[in-house]
Amino acid sequence: MSTPGDSRLHAPTMVATAVAVGAEPERHQVHAPAPGWWRPRVGRGQVVQPGDPLGELTVLGVVHRVVAGPGVHGAVVGDLAPGAADPGRPLMTLDDRARVHHAEDDAAVAAAAAGELAVRAPSSGRFYSRPGPGKPHFVAVGDVIATGHTVCLLEVMKTFHRVTFGGPGLPPRAKVLAIAQADEADVNAGDVLLHLEAAP
Amino acid sequence: MSPPTFHRILIANRGDVAVRVARTCRRLGIVPVFAVSDADRDAPYTRGQEAVVLGPARATASYLDPVRVVQAAVQTRCSALHPGWGFLAENPLLASLCEQHGVTFIGPPAHVMALMGTKSPAKRAMRAAGLDVIPGSDGPVPTAAEARRVADEVGYPVLFKAESGGGGRGMRIARAAAEVEGAFADAQAEARAAFGDDRVYVERLIEGGRHVEIQLVADRHGHAVHLGERDCTVQRNHQKLIEESPSPVLDDALRARTLAGAVAAARAIGYVGAGTMELLLDGDTLRFMEMNTRLQVEHTVSEARSGLDLVALQLEAAAGHRLRLRQEDVRLAGHALECRINAEDPRDGFRPSPGRLTRWRLPGDQGGAIRVDTHVEEGYVVPPHYDSLLCKVIAHGDTRDQAIERMLRALAELVCEGVATTVPLHQQVLASADFRAHRYDTRTLPGWP
Repeated sequence: MSTPGDSRLHAPTMVATAVAVGAEPERHQVHAPAPGWWRPRVGRGQVVQPGDPLGELTVLGVVHRVVAGPGVHGAVVGDLAPGAADPGRPLMTLDDRARVHHAEDDAAVAAAAAGELAVRAPSSGRFYSRPGPGKPHFVAVGDVIATGHTVCLLEVMKTFHRVTFGGPGLPPRAKVLAIAQADEADVNAGDVLLHLEAAP
Repeated sequence: MSPPTFHRILIANRGDVAVRVARTCRRLGIVPVFAVSDADRDAPYTRGQEAVVLGPARATASYLDPVRVVQAAVQTRCSALHPGWGFLAENPLLASLCEQHGVTFIGPPAHVMALMGTKSPAKRAMRAAGLDVIPGSDGPVPTAAEARRVADEVGYPVLFKAESGGGGRGMRIARAAAEVEGAFADAQAEARAAFGDDRVYVERLIEGGRHVEIQLVADRHGHAVHLGERDCTVQRNHQKLIEESPSPVLDDALRARTLAGAVAAARAIGYVGAGTMELLLDGDTLRFMEMNTRLQVEHTVSEARSGLDLVALQLEAAAGHRLRLRQEDVRLAGHALECRINAEDPRDGFRPSPGRLTRWRLPGDQGGAIRVDTHVEEGYVVPPHYDSLLCKVIAHGDTRDQAIERMLRALAELVCEGVATTVPLHQQVLASADFRAHRYDTRTLPGWP
């Protein structure tokens, strides 16, 4: 992710953490990790979760990738325009009600308790089983996947975000039994994307 | 009338330092922008002011991070940065980062700061400029055997000091030849751990003595003046408590000779801005210890005697103006004292006392003779993250006794409830016969057991 003026091959990373907003328990803010020039990479309506890239912060000419830290999840409902940012002001406000559903969600927990393992759609959107036309699929039936493995892309309000395997209720490794959705299918939040069984 | 300098200045400091610098900025029509940590976001002095948050309360991720500080200046469109004192004020990296990113650093050039920051080159430069130095090795000593040779030559006791040291770390005393080897090794180990540089040098240990320092101001065109000396002998654990000017024990000939030597030395090293030569009065010789390449807490004492604004002089020098002040224009009047009031309990081993100020009243100014520099107000919560200074009280009088009397009256009027303060210590020291008769050195607090 290089930009003019900075020829580094690997941009240094900064982690932005969540800051509570007083009266609204569902909302929290993400503050800049340091003073710098901010360029967002996510927009209103997009759903983010920990580990997602949020944007870039240029500090004394060095471009830093800013990724979402622990506790940063939800839909972007307010964002700071590109320009000067500092840890005293929010880069964006997130609403947790549209959060990315991990396996801690009730349905998934229940499914896991019943012995049925599945990756479910964290929100409604369009399901893509591969990064682009002609590219290999993220997963195939019979693959053993581990925590952090990308299972698909989900297009939500014109923006793409990665759905990864893992979370409470899911084992560290699992074997793909079936892919429940066709490529480019429209899915609803909670729809099963993959059927799995625990793998050693 | 002051010549134009800057439009916007980033103040890379906190507390009373930020307040002091901002006062001069406002007087000169300059917009101060406060760089603050998360813990100081709601400090009284930032109310209604432009501020930029550097990072969390922990100083290493806010006030001590030169990259954050310079970026803050760039993005708030400040053309200059004032480092204050403490934190990064003597960090050559900050000065060079400023230069690189088009921000004027209000202080000396980075290379002069680096020269004065390493002990042996600084000592060598001062000796070359004609100041007396403490006898010792010429630069770091490579081996214990060499250390022993130098120690035998200068006489015991000797003190080993870290070449890149400061703050009392990396220092070891050897009182006899047999202790040299151990002290040398210990000093090396501590210096390596604390400063990443295990070079140590050795010099004769001067025990006691009085701490005298000289306030200097220089421009970029080779002119320098002094604003007289300050005596900061009343210390506890190397922390100054009371500073005064003039020094009550210096004779006129030694004073004049040392002041002239300090000015010549500042000129010789290409010093720019405000700086201080710290000296130790050893018998009847003033010996150079180190140079502080920044404004100091106690600059107020020199301001009280000279009527000059040292921050304004710093800004003019940084902006490249010629010093309009000739030495003969500097008139030092009367006697001035400063007491540092800390949130510490002197009756309980100087235990730090953070908390909320439930009552806070400043003393009257006694017709302009009292100045109080502070960043606190009633209701302020003294944060546990930083130093414990609450305020500085500066008293001026025609004589030392008059200044002391005024100070005692001001301290009696100062009301502070909610946290313990060092006011009782100051009152006891100022009232003591030992303080009045100059019977103390840097190891003893007059009038305090």
